[in-house]
Amino acid sequence: MAFNNAGFDFSNTSRNAFLSEKGLPLPKATSTGTTIVGCLFKDGIVLGADTRATEGPIVADKNCEKIHYITENIRCCGAGTAADTEFTTAMISSNMELHGLSSGRKPRVVTAMTMLKQYLFRYQGQVGAALVLGGVDASGPHLFTIHPHGSTDKLPYVTMGSGSLAAMAVFERGWRAGMTREEALQLVTAAISAGIFNDLGSGSNVDACVITAQGTEELRNFVKPNERVQKERSYTFRRGTTAWKTENIRDLIVSESVKMVGGDEMDTS
Amino acid sequence: MEHIDFQKLKTGEVNLGTSIMAVQFDKGVVIGADSRTTTGSYIANRVTDKLTHVHDRVYCCRSGSAADTQAVADIVHFYLQMYAQQTGAPPPVHTAAALFQKLCYENKDGLSAGIIVAGWDKEVGPSVYNIPLGGGLFRQPWSIGGSGSTYVYGYCDATYKEGWNEAQTVEFVQNTLSLAMARDGSSGGVIRMCVITEEGVERKFVPGNKLPKFWEGAEVLGKPVSLATASGPAPMAVEPL
Amino acid sequence: MTSIGTGYDLSASTYSPDGRIFQVEYANKAVENSGTAIGIKCKDGVVLAVEKLIHSKLLVPGANRRIQTVDRHIGLATAGLLADGRHISNRAREEASNHRDFYHAPPTLKALADRLGLYVQAYTLYSSVRPFGISTILAGVDKSGPSLYVVEPSGVFYGYNGAAVGKGRQLAKTELEKLKLAELSTREAVFEAARIIYLVHDDAKEKDFELEMSWIGDETKGLHVPVPKDLLDEADAKAKAALETFE
Repeated sequence: MAFNNAGFDFSNTSRNAFLSEKGLPLPKATSTGTTIVGCLFKDGIVLGADTRATEGPIVADKNCEKIHYITENIRCCGAGTAADTEFTTAMISSNMELHGLSSGRKPRVVTAMTMLKQYLFRYQGQVGAALVLGGVDASGPHLFTIHPHGSTDKLPYVTMGSGSLAAMAVFERGWRAGMTREEALQLVTAAISAGIFNDLGSGSNVDACVITAQGTEELRNFVKPNERVQKERSYTFRRGTTAWKTENIRDLIVSESVKMVGGDEMDTS
Repeated sequence: MEHIDFQKLKTGEVNLGTSIMAVQFDKGVVIGADSRTTTGSYIANRVTDKLTHVHDRVYCCRSGSAADTQAVADIVHFYLQMYAQQTGAPPPVHTAAALFQKLCYENKDGLSAGIIVAGWDKEVGPSVYNIPLGGGLFRQPWSIGGSGSTYVYGYCDATYKEGWNEAQTVEFVQNTLSLAMARDGSSGGVIRMCVITEEGVERKFVPGNKLPKFWEGAEVLGKPVSLATASGPAPMAVEPL
Repeated sequence: MTSIGTGYDLSASTYSPDGRIFQVEYANKAVENSGTAIGIKCKDGVVLAVEKLIHSKLLVPGANRRIQTVDRHIGLATAGLLADGRHISNRAREEASNHRDFYHAPPTLKALADRLGLYVQAYTLYSSVRPFGISTILAGVDKSGPSLYVVEPSGVFYGYNGAAVGKGRQLAKTELEKLKLAELSTREAVFEAARIIYLVHDDAKEKDFELEMSWIGDETKGLHVPVPKDLLDEADAKAKAALETFE
């Protein structure tokens, strides 16, 4: 029964054929119905993300991480298919590290952007990663959006994911050129909160990340507006709530006796 | 008849439903584009730059899929850098256009890209090439493209004259794009322009509230109430952020 | 020859201890044994001339041409193994055609010499192949004007105002240096080229020869074509006459 063949496993092909023959929907990948944003300010970039991961109508993870590490001075927010954003950013991060090692320079944001767009373009939208890429390099701060088909945009403030419309509304009203770190962080928090509260696909907490020439600050769970509060009532059942008919107590402690075999104990000195 | 089939775009693909154009004049070319990028009904970028540098004196205007046209322009940019390095001279506009055509024709089944290539070179001076959807290659004195272009063919035919100077050509491009953007829902935003001559490339920018205006229905409806005169704009009361 | 018997000359992929590749040097010997070929770059065009040695009286006149057309505006003359010359001209045509296809523009001579140089050099790298036993004179008129290149068996190529390869190259070069190339017209160069070929031909040692000439310039509207029969005959006769009065 458990036939194990070496090499690739194509059994999903026949499974999918079977499902579509029966008119059943194909299994869905976990999608991060998401709000992710990025914002340029005076000294650098602020990235923001919510922390909800969904599988259809189910919240698969209430506190996931959507701001991925690319290099020390570059981060990338991911929306779309969770597995794709996770693996794409991990692969590009790895290639950026190698690129930095072989060139002996600090890798640039455009390099990561080009690698990502060429990878996504090759897969013609099949790799469902919608990304916000931001960072600071030798040529200053840079902020990009990268769509699943491989197109890119360079803008001073960007949003992506299902909550992007709510977040963009906040940006369009509040963004100004030359904001301070605090103002930018405040605006990003407001934009993500707009996604969390107005978009069904987004929720839970605000993750943020501030990147400047001085370094990168990861602000994991920067704001937690949805913390579980103390329950108003206790839902533990009183002892004796369930009636019983018979009682049978068994001794579960195994008794063992040890018998020494052989002569003297081992000399361990 | 040549029409742009936007149904060919894959679902969720970023679209440059566009108005682009390029016009040749005695000393160079003027290229121009609107700035709207859409995904379905959402404007993904309202200040897009569709005038893409491929070499010092050669630019292209992109229409169709953003991903496809960016990828194609990047590849041509690479080829032209190689060409300049190997020959020690900047590439002719014709060669740049030929490279675009090669990519667009040979991958016609997988691409939705309508590109106008324009620039200046030492051999022939200013030139404009149109590469429509199937991957043809046509040299034209002026060329328009994208979904918005269909509304302004008549205007261009009626207006264009040979022998214009730079200022007249810039005005023509600006007026044409403004008319196209007014009629085409997938075009809009600002006008970006480039004047490419032997001396260099000069960028021009017309903000959305400074677009040249044409007939807007005043005769029938009377003058629209100007917001400026009606005691200034009244912003919606919103809680401070 | 000091190389013989050392074992360092058996393969193009082996260096001698002092850093030479004998197979490439032997290939140069094959060129030196060949009938002379010259190229002249002048103010409005280029001329190619070849001393084609006739090894049999039974050969059809005009057969086994050593000057070939590569592209509308480019010609090529070879000195060395005839078969290698035909192979390299086919390759050159392919390169020219690919360039036209890719860039929608005719290749410059420099671009073609560059590609051909790379190709010839590849045959100096492997033990399984033999380097080309030819030197190639590339002549043409492109957007930068007339130009002349020589590709050697090692793969290196140089640009020249006047070029000579093959048996009589030394004497031919001396003659070329005497000419005021910048002031010469293509028509005048045809006569000079014919004269030099007749001059360098060693009547005592060699068999009969045939003068083969082509040109590219304003007179040919930038096309590479054989020198017309009447002009060729005139140049031929004049060269013969000059030989009588030489020295």
